[in-house]
Amino acid sequence: MAFPLLSLIVFVPAAGAAFLMFLRSDDWVRWAAFGFTLLDLALAIAMLSGFDAGTSEMQFVEKQPWVPTLGITFALGVDGISALFVFLTALLGWISVLASWIAIDRKVKQFMVSLLAMQTLMLGVFTALDLFLFYVCWEAMLIPMYLIIGVWGGDGRVYAAFKFFLYTLAGSLLFLIGVIVLYFEGGRTFDILALMALDLPFDIQSWLFFAFLVAFAVKVPMVPLHTWLPDAHVQAPTAGSIILAGVLLKMGAYGFLRFSLPMLPEASVYYSTLMMALSALAIVYGGLLALAQDDLKKLVAYSSISHMGFVTLGIFALNPLGLQGSILQMFNHGVTTGALFLFVGLIYERTHTRSIADYGGLMKVAPVYTGFLALFVLSSMALPGTNAFVGELLVLSGGFAANLALGAVAVLGALLSAAYLLGMYRKVALGPATVGARFKVRDVNGREMAAILPLAVFVFWVGLYPKPFLAIIDSSVTHLLQQVHDRGNGP
Amino acid sequence: MTAAALLPSILASLPEIIVIVGACILLIAGQFAPKGQDAVLVWASVAVVLLAVLATFTVSDGTQPAYTGMFVADPFSIFFKSLFYLSILLTFLLSRNYADIEGIGGSEYYVLLLLALAGMMIMASATDLLSIYVGLELMVLCTYVLTGFLRREQRSNEAALKYVILGAVSTGIFLYGVSLVYGLTGTTQLDRMAAAVTGDPLDPGLLLAVVFIVAGLVFKIGAVPFHMWVPDVYEGAPTTITAFMSVGPKAAGFAVILRVFLNPLVASSNVWIILAVIAVVTMALGSFVALVQDNFKRLLAYSSIAHAGFAILGIVAGGADGIASVMLYLLIYTFMNLGIFGAVIMMRNGNFSGEIIEDYAGFAKLHPGLALLMLLYLFSLAGIPPTAGFFAKFYVLVALVERGFVLLAVIAVLLSAVAAYFYIRIVMVMFMREPDRAFEPALTPMVGAALVVTAAGTVGIGLFPAWFLKLAQQSAFGG
Repeated sequence: MAFPLLSLIVFVPAAGAAFLMFLRSDDWVRWAAFGFTLLDLALAIAMLSGFDAGTSEMQFVEKQPWVPTLGITFALGVDGISALFVFLTALLGWISVLASWIAIDRKVKQFMVSLLAMQTLMLGVFTALDLFLFYVCWEAMLIPMYLIIGVWGGDGRVYAAFKFFLYTLAGSLLFLIGVIVLYFEGGRTFDILALMALDLPFDIQSWLFFAFLVAFAVKVPMVPLHTWLPDAHVQAPTAGSIILAGVLLKMGAYGFLRFSLPMLPEASVYYSTLMMALSALAIVYGGLLALAQDDLKKLVAYSSISHMGFVTLGIFALNPLGLQGSILQMFNHGVTTGALFLFVGLIYERTHTRSIADYGGLMKVAPVYTGFLALFVLSSMALPGTNAFVGELLVLSGGFAANLALGAVAVLGALLSAAYLLGMYRKVALGPATVGARFKVRDVNGREMAAILPLAVFVFWVGLYPKPFLAIIDSSVTHLLQQVHDRGNGP
Repeated sequence: MTAAALLPSILASLPEIIVIVGACILLIAGQFAPKGQDAVLVWASVAVVLLAVLATFTVSDGTQPAYTGMFVADPFSIFFKSLFYLSILLTFLLSRNYADIEGIGGSEYYVLLLLALAGMMIMASATDLLSIYVGLELMVLCTYVLTGFLRREQRSNEAALKYVILGAVSTGIFLYGVSLVYGLTGTTQLDRMAAAVTGDPLDPGLLLAVVFIVAGLVFKIGAVPFHMWVPDVYEGAPTTITAFMSVGPKAAGFAVILRVFLNPLVASSNVWIILAVIAVVTMALGSFVALVQDNFKRLLAYSSIAHAGFAILGIVAGGADGIASVMLYLLIYTFMNLGIFGAVIMMRNGNFSGEIIEDYAGFAKLHPGLALLMLLYLFSLAGIPPTAGFFAKFYVLVALVERGFVLLAVIAVLLSAVAAYFYIRIVMVMFMREPDRAFEPALTPMVGAALVVTAAGTVGIGLFPAWFLKLAQQSAFGG
């Protein structure tokens, strides 16, 4: 049997969570969580370096029987679609620990345990090759995330936690029925690869498509199922926001790529225009809402809705450019928006206000902070040379190729993002130094720098030399499109 | 019947005989036990149950009919008996300290529990409507008395009285159904009934009889429209008895319903439509009414109504998977429900009742370990993976979809999303509020052991369901 690298990646955080329970001092807990997430990141990098970009097959595959009488296996594997997300999850997990170092000052142990449990489950979602395993991880995430928002969140945390929990639960329960229907259609198997080979009648595909859509659209979130997101983001602690924006939102889109497209190709092609229209709506609507926000976190949250609109637009363009772009854009969004939430968290730790009106002239008191903030703001609005430019360009090219009108609407969204992001930056960083007079603001320290720098590296790396990232994605995207178009040009 | 012919029957029913004889001995011996030596009674009761366990597994050998077809010892009954043993042993562990606090720890308490156990065991093994009736009555008579055991508390007395009256009516309905069956088929044995009817299984007289029998049984599992007694009895009874009633007698009721529904006669009629309606209405009522409860025991009463509704869906699905799914559901429910009741029982200490949900505010801050356990049980009851509660629901849904009841499955999951709300509300109170009191949970070693066992079951079956699933399937196929 080969070295179980993926199991190790998935279960190192869980082992860390178990280990943390026995520690007493808060400092020990922080360092142990730091150590385990760093180890996990190292393992994820090892996985990427051993990843063969030339094939669309699943790699590092592991398979163990789990519940044989129901055909459930414990099967893990990665391909070009999931590999980057495994890495992103490991990276953001580590950064979340750094971001919570002083922001979380009570019940530190419970927080870190929740965070590590969360990470195991997120990694499980991205590596599962068994639908049952996928669903277990997908749904189990609700428990730690509910606690992270509800226990360590802001003033309205209880409401936000309930809303997050019930929205996601209701969405995923229909998905569960879909999974069980698929199980019987596929001859009693939960094997994802076997289910991809199914050729289902169109009406069943349609039903399943909408059952899946509810679950994935809540997670992405797509308008009009997005209303939980601003509440959850605003109330969640910084680490919670980073994980939510950086990883959780990707799972919805990942679900489309992993299940809807290859398993329900006819329905995916048939409803692609509808999906692109919803995406374009999310892009513009999210952008307009972000324009009207005074709360920094809300602004970033609504910008997430807008940016995830680009991702789903690219997916349902159903062409190579769109798909490559949307996968890369998911990675970029994880890096950039994760960083923006980190920055909001950093400044909130110092001033305890998130209202844009309270700031001004921050550049004069915290030049390093505002410098990096500028970088991530520019990245988020897709300035050429930054990561999001590559992603958005690919997505828009794909979008235009698939539907000219909706592509044009999406460009409007790109303009909007420049408006609200630059507007925010101007009000916060430039102008007279009013913020220095009211609050004692210190610049970033070494620990915070350690969290910021890796993200900044990826902004430039993907922006200037995206080839290695696209290479990882490429063959899997080609294979996926083949699966869709071979069988998808239905009625 | 000669003595030699009687021997196999005695062997097949040895566990029941042991429990009944043990209970009688304890009843007499208990009068001579010195005051304050109740621990001896607990251990003696445990010993009786363990003897019965031993007997069950040594004489178990395939299917052994006994008493000219009125009784059978088969894998199906052994599965349920194991479940009963588990629930009664956990109840003993939880009772010791609670009974002291409430001042109800006489020998009668344990003797009645043992007799109720005997009744449940007879129900699981009975293959004749009359032997079912005997087991049923033995069980409910004991629980009537146990419900009223808090002699000085008005609500306990009221609950017992309510329970007796409603229970007697439902038993009457059941017996009326039995008499109709006898009149139409000339027999009360489940196997012979099918053979006796050669005509249309949809004969209105027979259908009426089946409906009456179902109504009588549905009362025992607390499904709508025979659920009215559940909240009052659950709230009024001593919490240990509530815990016991929510799993043991309920599972016994399900055992009988399954046994009756395995009968080809009933299976061929369209009774499943009635059951499907009952299941949906039961789940809906349990889930929605629980939303507004602020008493922990009442909330758990409505939760148990909702869970009964979900389990009935497995009977609606029918087939081997349907039956196995109900059995697995009941087993998992035993672990998680006794777990959460164990936590509530533990909180009863001094003048703290532990019955008001708001009283748990900030519990997690002061007792993180115990709060984590309660979180586990609550999420399991809500059916969130990776706990066992998820797998229980999942398997029922699989059985439903297999038979093509997709719409029922959709209704079921939507209602369980409603139910999730009131479970996580308790989690919210424990974890997201600041404490305004000190808690002194009565965490004796016995209660601790019960919590460990239930937690292990709740997590263990959730992560490694394979063995338990296989056990349920084999027991269902054998029955």
